[in-house]
Amino acid sequence: MNTLTVRNVIFRTDELFELQFERGDVQFEPGACVALFSDSIESRPYSIAAGTGEDILRFLIRRVPNGIVSSWLAQRKPGDKVQASAPFGWFRPGRAVPGSRSVFIATGTGIAPFLSYLRSNPLQVPELCLYGVRRQEEAFNLNELQNMGNFQLALSQEAVNNHFYGRVTGLLEQVPFAADIHYYLCGLDTMIDEISSWLENHGVEYTKIHREIFFYEDATL
Amino acid sequence: MKMQRSNEWLKTSQNEPRGYIQPQSLEELWFHAGTNCNLRCPFCLEGSKPGDNRLEFLTLDDAQRFVNEALEFGVKKFSFTGGEPFVNPEFIPILEAALEHRPCLVLTNATEPLMNQMGDILPLQNKPNLLSFRVSLDHPDPVKHDESRGRGNFRKALDTLGRLPREGFGVSIARLMLPGEDSAAVDKAYAPYFEKAGVPADLTIIKFPEFHLPGSLPQVAEITEDCMTRYLSAEKRAAFMCNFSKMVVRKNGQCGVYACTLVDDVENYDLGKTLREAMEQRVLLGHHRCYSCFAGGASCSEGV
Repeated sequence: MNTLTVRNVIFRTDELFELQFERGDVQFEPGACVALFSDSIESRPYSIAAGTGEDILRFLIRRVPNGIVSSWLAQRKPGDKVQASAPFGWFRPGRAVPGSRSVFIATGTGIAPFLSYLRSNPLQVPELCLYGVRRQEEAFNLNELQNMGNFQLALSQEAVNNHFYGRVTGLLEQVPFAADIHYYLCGLDTMIDEISSWLENHGVEYTKIHREIFFYEDATL
Repeated sequence: MKMQRSNEWLKTSQNEPRGYIQPQSLEELWFHAGTNCNLRCPFCLEGSKPGDNRLEFLTLDDAQRFVNEALEFGVKKFSFTGGEPFVNPEFIPILEAALEHRPCLVLTNATEPLMNQMGDILPLQNKPNLLSFRVSLDHPDPVKHDESRGRGNFRKALDTLGRLPREGFGVSIARLMLPGEDSAAVDKAYAPYFEKAGVPADLTIIKFPEFHLPGSLPQVAEITEDCMTRYLSAEKRAAFMCNFSKMVVRKNGQCGVYACTLVDDVENYDLGKTLREAMEQRVLLGHHRCYSCFAGGASCSEGV
């Protein structure tokens, strides 16, 4: 168990925030989660959004209505201490086969492991990165993602110039297919299931589909 | 070396000699991969959840050491439980090492940690020994399964259950046993799902009674020496897992050998740091879960 010190809490909307901690000597790989504990000893796993070369740990968090842990974390102030597990995980964007190409598809805070990967490996950009949120204000680190290239934002509840208006699944026709491409999906279970099936129906081997599910009730992204 | 046990442990609350098993062999060695899990099931008999480290990740070095020692005892099978074993970052190398020597069984929830590593798991079918998976499907009703394990996890587990035998692996399922259930009828209710997954209708189903959370102290009858001979035949005594198996657990930075897969929450069942030490220890049946084995013949083993 680690004790992390809060560096900052940055709200993007009333319910979405980035929680930053001093890194200390925590070691991790892109895609890793950390279980963060509230003062009631409840814990929830959150994916690290920071790059491996940064001196902070970043987490993108949605404050869930009546959520014990996310509500408690949202009230933290700089200098506060938070108990945390060691990093762990089973989702490793870009790491399935060394040298293979990648497609990333995320919804909501599910962009976190991809941000970690891109910040850690800025020269190894994916073939395509699709990101779905409801409104533009909910999109984390949009400029950073756009600068990477090969990036498309889908807004399901807001029409904004230069962005796709609709669910992220509406962008699937842009997804490239090749034997050396691995597909990494992170976010809503409904999105992941739908896209997994779509990929398999288009001939992608299931061993090349990698999934990380964040459960939310809102299935409109 | 015999371990010293307190009188309270050797005797029941009525001061009668506590029932015990004197291990006869080491046919099956279990490894606990760690209590870290991707799921958070309220009934989990190990108390596993994301980030949990009550039992730490087993390492490849740990596993190799105990595999080698177990071979000296004539072990016939290695079995792995968790947590979700595929959350352990060294689990696939551990399996690779164990499969060089004996068949292996892995207890899994068959969701993302396994699914995401399927590309690394498939080559294990080329090992000299068979790899089998026991997939948790708690209820034949997907809604009830998902109430505890999370939305969509019945479907994922069933999908993985179907893929594994097509790739050459063995499969079985584990389910929860409800008080007073008609076991044959519950087993039969899985048939349509087995058909959908493309697995045989008579797939092995391992049933687990209520084992309660780790550290809990439910009221159960105490097992005396007299009970062991009065109510159980020699054959039934021999079927206790602690008679023919052990479990390796990593806790507080070191490995210990426990009497079975269900008693790692009580230090009295840490039988030593090596199998040789552990095999000399008499296993006293003082854990409330021992009563499940005594009364119902519960067993995590699928035989060897």
